[in-house]
Amino acid sequence: MIFANGGLLPDSERRAVLDGLEARLNDVRAGPPLRAETVIAAVDALGKRLEAGEFAPLLTQFLPAGVGLEELLPLLRREALEAKLAAELGPDPFGVRDRPRTAAHVLPQGVLFHIAPGNMPGLPVYTVLEGLLTGNINLLKLPHGDKGLSLAALRLLTEQEPRLAPYIYAFDLPSGRREDMKALADLADALVTWGGDGAIEAARALAGPGCRLIEWGHRLSFAYVSGYEDREGELSALAGHIVETGQRLCSSCQVIFLDSEDREAGLAFCREFLPHLERAAAGRSGAGAGAAASLSGHTALLERIVDGREAGEALFRGRGCSVVFRPDRELELSPMEGNVLVKLLPRQALLPTLRRQKGRLQTAGLICEPGRRGELVGLLARAGLTRITRAGTMSAAFPGEAHDGEYPLRRYLRVVDVER
Amino acid sequence: MLSRQRLFWRLHPYDLPGSDRIFLRACRDNCAYHIRRCPGYAAICERLGFSPGQLQTPEDLAKIPVIPTLFFKRKTLFSMPRRRMAMEVTSSGTSGKYSRIGFDWGSILAEAPMVVNLGFRHHLVSARPAHCVILGYKPHKSNHTGVTRTMFGLSHFSPPLGRTYALQMVDGGYVPDLDAVAAALKRLERAHFPTRVIGFPSYLWFGLKRMEELGLQVKLPRGSRVILAGGWKQHSAQEVDKGTLYALADRVLGIPEENINELFGAVEHPVFYNTCRRHHFHIPAYGRVIIRDPDTLEPLPMGRVGLVNLISPLMCATPTLSVMTDDLGYLTPGRDCGCGIQSPYLTILGRVGMSGIQTCAAGAAELLGKGEAF
Repeated sequence: MIFANGGLLPDSERRAVLDGLEARLNDVRAGPPLRAETVIAAVDALGKRLEAGEFAPLLTQFLPAGVGLEELLPLLRREALEAKLAAELGPDPFGVRDRPRTAAHVLPQGVLFHIAPGNMPGLPVYTVLEGLLTGNINLLKLPHGDKGLSLAALRLLTEQEPRLAPYIYAFDLPSGRREDMKALADLADALVTWGGDGAIEAARALAGPGCRLIEWGHRLSFAYVSGYEDREGELSALAGHIVETGQRLCSSCQVIFLDSEDREAGLAFCREFLPHLERAAAGRSGAGAGAAASLSGHTALLERIVDGREAGEALFRGRGCSVVFRPDRELELSPMEGNVLVKLLPRQALLPTLRRQKGRLQTAGLICEPGRRGELVGLLARAGLTRITRAGTMSAAFPGEAHDGEYPLRRYLRVVDVER
Repeated sequence: MLSRQRLFWRLHPYDLPGSDRIFLRACRDNCAYHIRRCPGYAAICERLGFSPGQLQTPEDLAKIPVIPTLFFKRKTLFSMPRRRMAMEVTSSGTSGKYSRIGFDWGSILAEAPMVVNLGFRHHLVSARPAHCVILGYKPHKSNHTGVTRTMFGLSHFSPPLGRTYALQMVDGGYVPDLDAVAAALKRLERAHFPTRVIGFPSYLWFGLKRMEELGLQVKLPRGSRVILAGGWKQHSAQEVDKGTLYALADRVLGIPEENINELFGAVEHPVFYNTCRRHHFHIPAYGRVIIRDPDTLEPLPMGRVGLVNLISPLMCATPTLSVMTDDLGYLTPGRDCGCGIQSPYLTILGRVGMSGIQTCAAGAAELLGKGEAF
């Protein structure tokens, strides 16, 4: 299906829509700009209708089993949207700024082409929303396997506020349609891509020199332990975080690094941490809840044996979880699902080791003595981390925080300097 | 590997105690073969402290290193050069990743009597020709999935008069056309020969629902059958219980419950599990099933729910002697079924949620097979 001008069209119309798209986009650009207030009012009103349960049957049809909108709904409120604008763009974000000889006008980039992945429901709509807040026209490539949630949401939004219709196009393009993808990229001022390395590389190949690339790639996160403030409390909070997120998020702890060079201390830590992890794993609900952990942990062990990389490792297997001591220092993806890696990384080796993962670093959950916190935060920040949190809150959402070290809305805008 | 052929050419397909000795012998031989020919498998056995000599009683089967099917999705292990294999087959890759499993000629020689033997036992074999409606993939040179081959193979239990497929290759991808299937079934109502509907239970359900919506009901000729294989896969959220599905088949196609067979198997464990007349999967003599604790992977007693570990000495090209699916299930003593078959039966409850929904840890999507280049 195609979403254009607030309506749904069959895929057979794709050629016709693409052929006329340039002229339509130019018409919209030439007209009066889209104001953030128009977007905020529409989203707020729609959010309230969602909260009131007006679209419950529609949501159960499209949302994957077990996924609700509880986390999304607060983000759709007026206060949240206004706070986001203020946090990322400062007060009076679209006002003209006086410079000594010029006036600086803030304008949207123009046309954003969003390529959203299919593994986060709601993300395709969210990225379009960021584009709308900054007044951009949005072309969205729907993820493969989006069963209609995004199209339904975009339709509701334009029904709520018909003035948004000319600013949203969505295409259900199969990945093989390179020509059409290229045509959309050629129309865009910026290509916004979310996803893993494969998606990022494909996007880079698609964007010509005249199209700016805005990449929200996948990241890795870890915990760093150098002493304790509240040993029991902090370790148990970290264990809770590991089990709760299943280690699947950018901000999930994959590796626990210890500020030590002593292998015995590393093994002792594993023995100490395992009961914390087991207690957290015991709190999972549902029959066979530990099965995913056991399967991925066991599979990872067999893979390491077959690859001959298992030497020097020590496996501490618990009920529905495991702790694996590995003798190297690299930050890497764990077997996930509650199977955490433990490695030694003394402070002096931290920066050079982590630099090898530049562009992938995200959150460090820091456990340390209170007096050393400032120093270690500084070291981690200089190494390239973009979030430094307490151990249990690595994946918490903090109001006003940046996205992987940047304020997205800033990237969707440009400044026009006009000489007086 | 004569022990394997002796096991698979046995005439009593559900006599487990009577086949224990030869089953253990075949497992020892199979394990020793893989240890000799596959360095990766040898390393696993060595590290986990297992040697074929430890297999003396049926209880010892739990000691064979268990390899999750998840492992075969990430790594390919072969115990013979590919030129010596009969074929290479892939799993369907519901999660986006699939296993590559080699089949040796000996495994095909062993499978044939098993399939014929069980085919007769479950009334699948008939000399009367039949029209086939296949609610699955039309074979294509780019399609190496086991389930496609299985469904095509199943159409030969009676002389096939023709085949209509629900999933046709269009522009390099499979597209379902349930309306064409409905039209074919309408036509076959008046045929002289019976019809065999072979396919995924999910497509049978969607197809029959669609026919019912359109007000299409047919009464297929006497002797028509439904043979289901492949499970619900990506449609598991819409899975309905067997009773509902069979009642719908009776209503819309006129095929009574006793003419509906269901099959179970996996590319990594191609043993031919059939439902009995009470729709239970009894374990045939060619395989053994151990249910393992989801938290510890230790074997569980009869009746407890856990991960399903399938054991069979069928394959020599790939070390799939003992594999663990990501299904949860449990075993029930055969005598509780009442169909007369004495071997325990396996009930599958569904798949473990392996891949979650949200992944954005670097490399996770690729590892879980959810990576998409766009």
